[in-house]
Amino acid sequence: MKKVQFKSYYSQYFFLAPQLLILLIFLYWPIIQTFKDAFTMQDAFGFGSQFAGFDNFLFVFSDPSYFTAFKFTIIYSFVITLITGSIGLLLAVQANKVLHGKNVYKTLLIWPYAIAPAVVGVMANYFFSERYGLLHHLFNNLWGFNWYEDVFDAYIYVIIAGSWKQISANFIFFLAGLQAIQKTVIEASIIDCKSNIRRFWTITFPLLMPTTFFLIIINITYAFFDTFGIIDTTTIGAPGSETKTLVYKAYIDGFKGLDLGSAGAQSIMMMIIVLFITIFQFRYIEGKIHYN
Amino acid sequence: MKKLISIFVLLVSFAFTSNSYSKTEIHWWYGNSGFLGDVIIEIANRFNDSQDEYMVIPTGKGSYEDNMAATIAAFRAGDQPHYSQVYDAGAAIMVAQVKNGVVIGFEEMAEKYGISVDADNYIPGIKNFYADGDGKMIGVPFNSSTCLMYANMDILNEVGIEEVPKTYEEFEGMAQKILDAGYIPLLQSHSPWIWTENFFSRHNLLMTDGNNGYDDVPTTTLFADTEAFVYHWTKVKEWYEKGYYGYKGRAWGDNQAPFTNGEAAFWFGSAASFGGMKGVLPNFTTNPIPYWDSVTGGKEYPTFIGGAANWILNGHTEEEYKGLAKFIEFMGSPEMDLYYHNMTGYAAVTKGGIELAETINFYRASPYHKAVGDQLGLEGSTIPGGYRAGNWPQIREVIYENVEPMLNGDISVEKALGNMDKGAAKLLKQFAKTL
Repeated sequence: MKKVQFKSYYSQYFFLAPQLLILLIFLYWPIIQTFKDAFTMQDAFGFGSQFAGFDNFLFVFSDPSYFTAFKFTIIYSFVITLITGSIGLLLAVQANKVLHGKNVYKTLLIWPYAIAPAVVGVMANYFFSERYGLLHHLFNNLWGFNWYEDVFDAYIYVIIAGSWKQISANFIFFLAGLQAIQKTVIEASIIDCKSNIRRFWTITFPLLMPTTFFLIIINITYAFFDTFGIIDTTTIGAPGSETKTLVYKAYIDGFKGLDLGSAGAQSIMMMIIVLFITIFQFRYIEGKIHYN
Repeated sequence: MKKLISIFVLLVSFAFTSNSYSKTEIHWWYGNSGFLGDVIIEIANRFNDSQDEYMVIPTGKGSYEDNMAATIAAFRAGDQPHYSQVYDAGAAIMVAQVKNGVVIGFEEMAEKYGISVDADNYIPGIKNFYADGDGKMIGVPFNSSTCLMYANMDILNEVGIEEVPKTYEEFEGMAQKILDAGYIPLLQSHSPWIWTENFFSRHNLLMTDGNNGYDDVPTTTLFADTEAFVYHWTKVKEWYEKGYYGYKGRAWGDNQAPFTNGEAAFWFGSAASFGGMKGVLPNFTTNPIPYWDSVTGGKEYPTFIGGAANWILNGHTEEEYKGLAKFIEFMGSPEMDLYYHNMTGYAAVTKGGIELAETINFYRASPYHKAVGDQLGLEGSTIPGGYRAGNWPQIREVIYENVEPMLNGDISVEKALGNMDKGAAKLLKQFAKTL
């Protein structure tokens, strides 16, 4: 193929400029502002701004509800990743076997993915309403369900609300992954092994590892950041601050509490956490995956 | 739907402004929604119809918190409205902003533009709540409520209770009867507002050091140190365990719904809450909130004024402020004050409005409206009529965060109140640093 050569460098920059401008305005500028907020002490209107060093960080670390939020975020992302991944995989494997009406199943299973988290939260609200909630009544008959003050019950509430939609995302990617596996490999394995289950774990699942790895990252990111709307429309972090995610806490402190310094410090902490998780994943998990 | 209508109304009003471009526009942002938001639009429409020099454009920004955040963001971007509704918990933040030139004080405005409804026109309790340390009024009183006790008289008749309780002791004595009949005796919709802030005012107790922040910048709340407050929450926890008190989470509506549906005997809410109950609940009354007889020795004290005020924001032209002054004058007239009182249930806040209500025998026709004025008009308090404590929205969050583990038994009452004090003290100190 012939390489296209530009005569001057300027035209490249010219064509890159819109993209770079968008990145600057919507990515780098807010990051710079966040750093500025995190290291200054100021009132809600931005007056009395003075350099505060690590005061805002110390303030966050001396807040017990920050650690509650941290703990919850870790539990939440772990459970959501596990639930959505396994149910999505199960559904994908089953849907892949279906011969008739495959597209109907597929479409119906993908649908929830198109629903915004806040809407999912409102729907979950109905299911868990004390007055007319189906799931509330079911759980209440089983063990006396009360998410208003019971931490475990509140966990169940936000985990079901948070998982439902994400199962669809997992389903799509697993199904695509399954269909990308070459027929010949599957056929060869059928000759070698009779057990469906064993064949799945020794042949199919290892071949799905790249998809699984990708989904783990996607699910964790989802539980960290995208569940904001779900928390805000279901428990609003109650009881206590047990169901606040880190993002939700930063929002409450920054926008409801009007303390931008603390919210900025929390955002930077979150950046560091996500950075570590990602490094860990690429270092220690990705090495064990074979893409081909 | 209501939101859609208000957006539509707004669009229409924008369409009209293009026809009448000579009018000076005054932007008014607010944090009420639903019916209360509709009344705000109606007020603006009436003002716009009453003259043709100025045009007030109301914009709803969601909840009180949303509107405050939006106003601050707009100010930082140099795009602030002229007039914005900020709630009680944000009052300390707004008052502190006069010195930075963000907010123009009401008294200063009244003097400069000759507003005839000046500070003296408003009832004393309200004057103090939105005033600075020198007693100068900063916020313009608007929707002023307080917490009231709603009682379902049908339930009380059924179980043979003739009079609504005036004290918590009386309530405690009748709760078992109500519970036995299959009803929830008591619900309330806002633990920080009703059972914290207004607990202190109702019992004439100081809530923070520095004389509730009126003398000095407060450094700590006095929750765990106030014996009566510890006693109250110990009782509440006991009631919760016995089923006398039902907790339905933090959402205002979830706690109100069982009462509106006739499943609870008493509910503590806002003076402006009865709109949605009329026509649904056949026989209910509004009453002053109970108090502990053992704490006050039989005396009754007024509660704080809740709700919100409108604040004048800096950075606009003389001509626009002249228009705003006219609008403030319009809203402070006895007729408009009574109109708003009648429509929403918020208290009448001007002396003229209260006189007018008496002249036309308003309360005989509408008894629901009476309790709010009775409770706020009580005298004899030795504490300030409000609290000047910064970061209060976050302190309310801290209160909620500790009420729930207290009710479910994870932590003791003393521990919960101690945690509230610790959390509040940190936030108060943080705020003091920004002053």
